[in-house]
Amino acid sequence: MKIVLALPLRPFPAALLTALVLMLPALMLPSAGRAAGFEELVARLPEGSYSDRAEVIEAIARTGDPRAAEVLGALLEGSLHVRKADGRVVIIEKTDAGTVAFDALTGEALGAVAGRSTEKIKVNNRLRGMLRSAIGALSLMSPDRETRLMAAQSVFASGDPANIEALDAALSAESDREVATALAEARAVAILNTDAPVEEKRAAVAILRARGDAAAQAALAPHASDPAIGNEVTAALAEIERVRQMWGVAQNVWYGLSLGSVLMLAAIGLAITFGVMGVINMAHGELVMLGAYTTFAVQEAIRGAAPWLFDWSLLIAAPLAVLVAGGVGIAIERGIVRHLYGRPLETLLATWGVSLILQQAVRTIFGPNNREVGNPSWMSGSLEIGQMTVTWSRLWILIFALCVFAALLLVLRRSFFGLQMRAVTQNRPMAAEMGIDTGRIDALTFGLGAGIAGLAGVALSQIDNVSPNLGQSYIVDSFMVVVFGGAGNLWGAFAGAFGLGIVNKFLEPWTGAVLGKILVLVFIILFIQKRPRGLFALRGRAVEA
Amino acid sequence: MARLVDRRMGVFLAALFVLTVALPVASSAAAGELVPAYLVSLVGKYLCYALLAVALDLGWGFCGILSLGHGAFFALGGYAMGMYLMRQIGPRGVYGDPVLPDFMVFLNWQELPWFWLGFDRFWFAALMVMAVPGLLAFVFGWFAFRSRVSGVYLSIITQAMTYALMLAFFRNEMGFGGNNGLTDFKDILGLDLTAASTRTGLFVASAVALAAGLLVARWITASRLGRVLVAIRDAEERARFLGYRVEHYKLFVFTVSAVMAGVAGALYVPQVGIINPGEFSPANSIEIVIWVALGGRGTLVGAALGAMLVALAKTLLTGWLPELWLFALGGLFVLVTLWLPRGVLGALEDGLAQLRPARTGAREEVRA
Amino acid sequence: MSGSLLYLSGVGKSFDGFRAIDNLSLVVFPGELRAVIGPNGAGKTTMMDIITGKTRPDEGEVFWKESVDLTRADEVETARLGIGRKFQKPSVIESLTVAENLELALKGPRGVAARLFGRRGETEAREIARLLALVRLEEARDAPAGSLSHGQKQWLEIGMLLAQDPELLLVDEPAAGMTDAETMRTAELLREIAGRHAVVVVEHDMEFVRALGCKVTVLHQGRVLAEGSLEHVSANPEVIEVYLGR
Repeated sequence: MKIVLALPLRPFPAALLTALVLMLPALMLPSAGRAAGFEELVARLPEGSYSDRAEVIEAIARTGDPRAAEVLGALLEGSLHVRKADGRVVIIEKTDAGTVAFDALTGEALGAVAGRSTEKIKVNNRLRGMLRSAIGALSLMSPDRETRLMAAQSVFASGDPANIEALDAALSAESDREVATALAEARAVAILNTDAPVEEKRAAVAILRARGDAAAQAALAPHASDPAIGNEVTAALAEIERVRQMWGVAQNVWYGLSLGSVLMLAAIGLAITFGVMGVINMAHGELVMLGAYTTFAVQEAIRGAAPWLFDWSLLIAAPLAVLVAGGVGIAIERGIVRHLYGRPLETLLATWGVSLILQQAVRTIFGPNNREVGNPSWMSGSLEIGQMTVTWSRLWILIFALCVFAALLLVLRRSFFGLQMRAVTQNRPMAAEMGIDTGRIDALTFGLGAGIAGLAGVALSQIDNVSPNLGQSYIVDSFMVVVFGGAGNLWGAFAGAFGLGIVNKFLEPWTGAVLGKILVLVFIILFIQKRPRGLFALRGRAVEA
Repeated sequence: MARLVDRRMGVFLAALFVLTVALPVASSAAAGELVPAYLVSLVGKYLCYALLAVALDLGWGFCGILSLGHGAFFALGGYAMGMYLMRQIGPRGVYGDPVLPDFMVFLNWQELPWFWLGFDRFWFAALMVMAVPGLLAFVFGWFAFRSRVSGVYLSIITQAMTYALMLAFFRNEMGFGGNNGLTDFKDILGLDLTAASTRTGLFVASAVALAAGLLVARWITASRLGRVLVAIRDAEERARFLGYRVEHYKLFVFTVSAVMAGVAGALYVPQVGIINPGEFSPANSIEIVIWVALGGRGTLVGAALGAMLVALAKTLLTGWLPELWLFALGGLFVLVTLWLPRGVLGALEDGLAQLRPARTGAREEVRA
Repeated sequence: MSGSLLYLSGVGKSFDGFRAIDNLSLVVFPGELRAVIGPNGAGKTTMMDIITGKTRPDEGEVFWKESVDLTRADEVETARLGIGRKFQKPSVIESLTVAENLELALKGPRGVAARLFGRRGETEAREIARLLALVRLEEARDAPAGSLSHGQKQWLEIGMLLAQDPELLLVDEPAAGMTDAETMRTAELLREIAGRHAVVVVEHDMEFVRALGCKVTVLHQGRVLAEGSLEHVSANPEVIEVYLGR
């Protein structure tokens, strides 16, 4: 502006003045002058080398024009083109009908364009980085909270000192605490990259230290050798490492609890049939599978008939799964297991046969491939707690598992059926003498174990592949849980499942998933040597009975 | 003491001998290939299964050790043989490395892992075929039996054992070819594996091994030690109070049984041309149990017959109606446990005994 | 105690808080015949478990011939030391013949190799024949033990105990399920055996104990309540209170 303002001071002829003014943009071209407006700058984007383009991008960012973020975003995504015919800068959009173009400045629809009539304005990696940071800075003032948060994060990642002004402006205007923290953190990274006074840098280090995650670590690490603030940075890095490890432990505990809840769901039905009745049900895994397929069938029916019910699909599937798996369980007990009481090895073989039949039946009906079971909306997505991610599906499964466990305890301890069941398992002749229909209790007990397997199937359908082999992948693990926990004790299954789940997840980072699992199996094999009847085994004379 | 070769055993061995002579002759060019040549290897495979079943019966039928992990011993024997066969390929592999098997070249390994050393010699591989399963059974059994883990608990941890091994062998890092296992074998002892003569040789070797396995098992069970085994099976506590170190006896039988299973695996691999971690799957091991249960637990000969019957049925059914096979196998498990607790052979003998009620001395009766 | 075969002193054992044996002391001399009586839950079976090494006591001393600490021995070791045990429920190998059951029990090497390569010798055959006669099972020699009557199984088991030639026989309720004649015959058999072997009999049946005519130890709640002749303990008011009086 200075030049223009100065001009009238000179006694130039008017014509010359006019010419000069008209030529001004041309004169300023090589230096991409500050005075150029947003429209002009955009028009210049297609020209020149990458470094020219870099200057233009910076200039666009500096205009603060509300349209800038969109244009730069299009440039970053590669949808900012130049029309060959007239050099007009357009944003193209691929739709079902073909490629259409919009004016980059006005947003005016320009209709369909042929593939070759426009040319993409190219960017390289350096420009992409620049664009991200520029877009971030531009979005800092966005009215949308999420956009501002995202912007602060992307500015944080760039660490570009050029953004400090924008950050300061945004900070002073920000009222949301979380966004303000994110902005302050982004500013701290940028400050570290300037030659700001030591005091200010120390404050920045403190801010990042308080953030305490991997990103903060990455932002601090390059400054560890800085003579002025090196000590603070090193201390902060150590502290962050400690915090991160703590969160890592917490995350592992969570994974372990989650795995434990899955194991418990799969094993708890087994704890009843194996533990309480002494029956080895090798088809238990297939009953879990039936529960999962019931969920699939329910969802299919809902999709066809009443899509608005989808969020309720699991609640509808759960009782049905209990009925299906429980019914099959009772059929197994009445048809086969009942004839084999007192012969555990034969029971094992016969139920294995049933498991093969169930597997093949499901394969024949539903096909051999994985079936898609959807998550209701309340089960998708995740929750951030500090530095730890908790998916809703796993959280609900944990809650579900605990509820099932509690309900089961209640049934066994408080209900009349539970009383009869304990009477039959502890002294069959006496129970029969007292008028309890022992056969009916056997069938119901087995059905209860099977029904819980069905419930487990509903839960597992949310996190695992639903295929005919679903049951097979859980059967060894569930037996391990029951053997480890000690048969005949629900609390044993509880402790066994969560103990093994957590141990497994703590081993995994060191050994990998497969080796971790092998180590757990080896551990159980060794453990059972020490305590052949598990963690919570009954001791003493009761065992001999 | 009972005779080593009783009538049942005699009939079976004679039939086996006839089969061993007749099948190669019938499939030879001289006889105009009366039966297709592939039958030789197919039946050879059945004989290996039969030996495996005899091994399991030795432990389960006579000592009450129901192993649900015998497939692991079979597979380990198979892998030991497979390693020898891999080393025999030499520079003829796809990558042409003179020492390293193809899968190691593919994984960019520079040198042979230590546990592959020595497998280029047949005698060493043959020793390992027996030593590796034997050692595993010994160590595993030592832990398990010493702590008096028995019955269903033992079954479950043997299943966990084979499951753990399966997971381990699926890993490439283990150095046994991962998923794909070991395959593309060329020759054995310098003989071309595709040649009819080699296949016949392997078939005869399998028959001899089966006969030897039966005789060894019979010798053990008919000896005075056999009585102790039965005592342990039927009344473990009593045997202990009579002063028998039960765990030593179990360990002995379990180890012998594992070695036998290893030999079966070693003969199986060159005849089918591949060994992969699938052999360790728990399902395979349980299938062995149904062979024995079908034939008749504690009869040895019945176990061998049961294995061959089920294997034959599997070949036929998976050929005709693959969908039906698992239904049939599953149904078999249920039917045998419910209605044939002593197996086909036991049922036959019961039938005969009813025809001739005067006979006494049915010594190997097995309680269900 | 000097010259004792079996010596228990201050033995205690609890199961999950239940005091099965409490400060129990008992001495048995070589060749002695002893009856142990007591109501259900008095700790008789637990006492036998402790003597044979099946259960480890929480406290107290158990010595064999004043020198061997039985609390450190397991069932196999106590059996090899010379303690034979008959269970309450007859425990014979049902799928083996009567003769084979006896052969299995005969004193001799118990190792794997010895059993695998061993043959039944002449002396063993004679010994089996003698035992068969003693327990009156000559007729059933080659029948499966599972086909015997309840009483015959009891006798076969006693025969198996004798085949072990132990110095101490622990006999748990031998007369259970026997006819009166069989019961008397069993008492007679045990009296014959005593002298060469020490015999400890646990029994409920008072007629049987009377027929044994030996020193009686009364157990109650894991402790020795009284000891002496049957007449002596029958006169003890405490014994009458807890046991005989019911």
